[in-house]
Order: sequence, then structure tokens, then C-alpha cells
Amino acid sequence: MAFGQVFVNWLLLGSLYAAVALGFSLVWGIMNIVNLAHGALIIVGAYTAFWLYTQLHIDPYLGIPLTMAVLFVVGWIVQYVAINRVIRAPLLVTFLLTFGLDLLITDLIQQFFSSDLRSINTAYAGNGLDIGSTHIAFDHLIAAVIAVLLTAALNYFLTRTRTGNAILATGMDRDAARLMGISIRHTYALTFAIGAALAGAAGAMLSELYPFNPSLGGTFTLRAFVIVVLGGLGTPWGVVAGGLVFGLAETVVPLIPGVGPGYDDAIAFVVLVAVLIFRPNGLLGKPFYS
Amino acid sequence: MSSGTKTQTPSAIESHPPEPKESREWLWSLILGLVILGLVATVPVLGDASALHTWTLIIMFVVLAQSWNFIGGFTGYSAFGNVVFFGIGAYTTGLMLLGNQPFWLGLVAGALVAALFAFLLGLPVLRLRGHYFAIATLGIAEAMREFVTVRDVGGGGGGLMSLPLPSLASYVGFFYAFLGLSLLCLLITVFLTRSRFGYALIAIRESEQAAEALGVPTYWYKVGAFVLSAVPTALAGGLYAYWATGFDPDTVFNVSVSVEMVLLTVLGGPGTIVGPILGAIAFEYASFQLQTSGFSLHNTLLGLSIVIVTIFLPQGILRLIREFVRKPAPGTPRANRLVEGVRRVRRFIAANGV
Repeated sequence: MAFGQVFVNWLLLGSLYAAVALGFSLVWGIMNIVNLAHGALIIVGAYTAFWLYTQLHIDPYLGIPLTMAVLFVVGWIVQYVAINRVIRAPLLVTFLLTFGLDLLITDLIQQFFSSDLRSINTAYAGNGLDIGSTHIAFDHLIAAVIAVLLTAALNYFLTRTRTGNAILATGMDRDAARLMGISIRHTYALTFAIGAALAGAAGAMLSELYPFNPSLGGTFTLRAFVIVVLGGLGTPWGVVAGGLVFGLAETVVPLIPGVGPGYDDAIAFVVLVAVLIFRPNGLLGKPFYS
Repeated sequence: MSSGTKTQTPSAIESHPPEPKESREWLWSLILGLVILGLVATVPVLGDASALHTWTLIIMFVVLAQSWNFIGGFTGYSAFGNVVFFGIGAYTTGLMLLGNQPFWLGLVAGALVAALFAFLLGLPVLRLRGHYFAIATLGIAEAMREFVTVRDVGGGGGGLMSLPLPSLASYVGFFYAFLGLSLLCLLITVFLTRSRFGYALIAIRESEQAAEALGVPTYWYKVGAFVLSAVPTALAGGLYAYWATGFDPDTVFNVSVSVEMVLLTVLGGPGTIVGPILGAIAFEYASFQLQTSGFSLHNTLLGLSIVIVTIFLPQGILRLIREFVRKPAPGTPRANRLVEGVRRVRRFIAANGV
């Protein structure tokens, strides 16, 4: 494959991965919760987009605000009803709880939509931009642009708005934030809801680009984790860096002679352990949240 | 001020509680565990073939929960990928059987391979803590499943493995083999609560830095605990392989089996002697009853139970019961004990909230 094509594929895949991990990073960074249901929320986003497309004929990209709104509500409820109750429990408990939610959500989706492989084929799916021998597919390009826009929006929201600052403050010191008059319960619910909405956006984009079924959630969770670890916790832009590095590993490793495709999870795992051993704080991150 | 303290001092000394006697809790737990396993042992005599089938699987989960308890309950490390040892045990035993080796040799080989794997994996992974350790172990299970599938280790396409049928009479043998394994795990657990090795693991759980500061070589103890939890899991995997005669990577490397180990232990009480046994029997029995009654939403049920257990029983049934029956403050009227207990339990549950 030509070098230019590999380069373009890498950039597009990397930014998409940033979108996959953005919400995960927020939830982990602020609440110190590794949300194992993140992949399931992405799948909910994908099926919401699928439902909007087949029932109401709304394009997945145009429907992203709707998908995000649905996931925002789901996320708020999950946090308010369940996770808020165990937020101070040992790590094992929150970890187990989010895995339980993952099983629950995945199984419910499977009941509603069956476990068949689904895909969305829009009219412009095959179109693209050709520069020399390099092909840039429109749908992948749009997804990458949306991913970068979402990251910028999240960054702006967290650093420039009052509510965003409240979220950051809660992440830095819960008790001090409470003394400043911030309602922890609501801030946490809002944080998780935003995380879920971002997962929904990622799901809507993925539904347009790749075929999907309910069982894919686990791989997305694992990848989101690796990406966040790569980029480091603390800033939304770190997630983009992590996504690009991880996209690089996934684009290049199958091209190595003798390896071939099919080892996505194994690549993720090896990258993860290597980073944790050599750069425990990630590539850009600081040990911001313990 | 001085007169008050002077008169109080002697009485304070008198009311000082005497040195606590050495707790006999371990002995009662051991007896309770033996009684439970003894009762289960009557299943092949009293029950029919389907009961035998169900209870064989239940005892298998008891073993899995007990062996997860060594790493997860005692050291407090959230290992979420222990199913990888189960799969390794199953595949090693299967490959040995296909190579016309005796079954027991296959089991031993599976245990050895898993122990070696746990050792080599533990060296890098046990340097990680918290979330990182949990995800790394989760990742290795997924990666291993992928590897076995892509390389088609079983030889039946996609990693599927088919074994020769064991003779029918041996199904009772499988049951007692699992039961024996469970007994062994029970004895190891009792040993852990009473030995230097076990104290070190508990110290790691309570505060790894403090343990390190007191001169406990925490790293090597953790590796030891990881290997210790891998061996019974692999033996159970080997037994399962021959018992089931056919399996694929999605079954024996299934991450939700890992999570079930965690759930069963947390349900009963992590780090306790009978907790994993109670949790596993209670949950798996209920789960099998529901399945045989035609209830198809197995994962929904599992997910819901996890949500309920983590919210209401974050440290297991046993801990909650202990909280309920703990001696109330002196002077509490007898009639108020029940109310007091309920209040304490509610406070205990709410303590994890925002």
C-alpha cells in the first residue's frame, strides 16, 4: 500500500479513536471510575443512529445531536440511580458495577435488535476525494472532523464555562468543591451524562463507517482504556494524541510480514503493558488524578 | 478538671477490656465449609443425572471463586482475567488427550503451564496497581482468546476442540474430582488465614506501602498469590475440558466467567473462608434454576445481580450479617437491638454513596 494512503488512513482512524475514548477519559479523570459500560454505551449510540436512520430516515451524522441527547439522559439516570451509590466504595466495587451495567445494556440491546450484524449504507458512502493515488472517503473524513470538533468543544466547555469549571473542581478535590457550594451528586450525574453523550456520538459515527453488532462493546472499552492510558488523563487533547498513537499501532502492525490481521485486541494489550511499564503517566499526561 | 480525671482514672482502667482471646472464627468457618461440601457430596447418591450435571457445574464455580479469592480477596488485587488460566488448563489438557496421553498427566501439564504463565505474566502485570492491573488482566484474557482462535489451536476451525468421550460412569468421578478440588481450596484458604504467607497478602490488601515498609517483599508475595490462584483454576479448566468433551475459545476464555468469579466471591465475602463457597452455591443454584425454567435472559440476570450486589452488598453477605449482629453500644435496651441493627446496615450501605 502506498505510503500516502497509509498516512491518511492512520489520521482518519486515529481521530475516530479519539472520539471513542473521549467520554471514557472524562469519566475516569473526574470520578476515578473506569467505566466498563462505555463500550455498551457506544453500541447504544450506534443502534440509536441505526433506529433513527431506518425508522425516521435521519442521516447518522445529522442525527448525532439527537443520539447524544438520548445517551445524555441514559447516562444521567445510570449515574444518579446506580453509580452515585458506590462512588466511595473500593475500586473493585465500581469496576464490577460498571461491568454489570455493560452486561445488562448489551443483553437488552440484543433482545431489542437481535445479534445480527447491522450496517448503514448512505448514498454518499462510496464517494471520496482523490489526490493522486490517495483516496480519502468522505464519510471517514466527516467523522474525523466531528471528532476533532467534539474534542475542542469539550475542552472549551471544561476550561471556559462555569459548569465545566465546577466539573474540573470536583475532579480535583471533591470535599473542597462541596464546600464551594457545588452539588456533587448533580455534577457527577452531569459528568457521566456528558461522557455517555460523547460515547453516543462515537457510536453514531461508527455505525455509518463499520458494520456492528451488540457484542462489539467490549473491544471498544478495551481500546478506550488503552487510548486514555497512552494519552494520559487530564486533558481532552491528550485523548487525541492517544488515539493517533493507537491508530498508528493498529495501522502499521498488520502490515508487518508474518503477523497479518486479526490481532486487534492483542495489539491493544501489548501497547497497554508497554506504555504502563515505560511511561506510567502516558505520553502527554500528568499524574493529575490518582 | 483534675479532680474529675482523678476519680475517673481507676474506673477507666478497670473497664478496659481484657486482652482479646485468639479468635476461633477460622475453626467455625472451616467446619461450616466442610459441612456444606459434605452435604453437596450426597448429590450423586440422592439426585438424578440432571442434578449431577447442575451440581458439577456449581462446584466448578465454587472452585473458581475460591481460587480467585487468593488473589482478589486476600491481596485485594482486582484480577479480571483469571479465566485465562481456565482456558489454558482446558486447552493444555485437551491437547495432551488428543496426543493419547493419560488424563491425569494432562491435568498436571495444564496446571504447570498455567502456573508458569501466571508467573511470567505476573512479573510485568503485578507491577501495576488499581485500574491498570484490572484492565491489563482483562486484556490478556481477550488477547489469549483471540490468539487461540486465529491460530486455531484446537484444530476444529476457529479454535474449536473435540475430545474423545469419557466413559459414562466417570461423570460421578468428575463430580467428586471437582469437589475434591474445592476441598483443597478450602484447606488452602484456611492455611492463608493462619500463616505468614496469608498475613503478608492481607497486609498488601490493607496497605501495600506499609507492608513494604515493614519489610514484606510484597512483589514476590503477589506473584506467589497469582500463581496460587492460577493452579486450581487451570485444574478446573482441565476437568471441564474432558467433562464437556468439546469447547471453543469463546467458552473457556469468556471474560464474563472471570467476572462471575469476582461476583461470586464479592457476594459471599472476599477474603473470607466460606464466603466464596456460599456466594457461588447461592448464585449459581439460582441461576441454573432460572435457566432450566426457560428463562433466556442470562446476561441480563447476571448484570442485574451484579448491580444489586455491588450497591447493597459491597463487602458480601457475611460482612452485612456481622454488621447486623455486632454487639450494640452498652446501655442499649434489648428491644432496640433489631432497630439498631437495621440502622447500622443502612448506614453501612449508604457509606459508599456520594
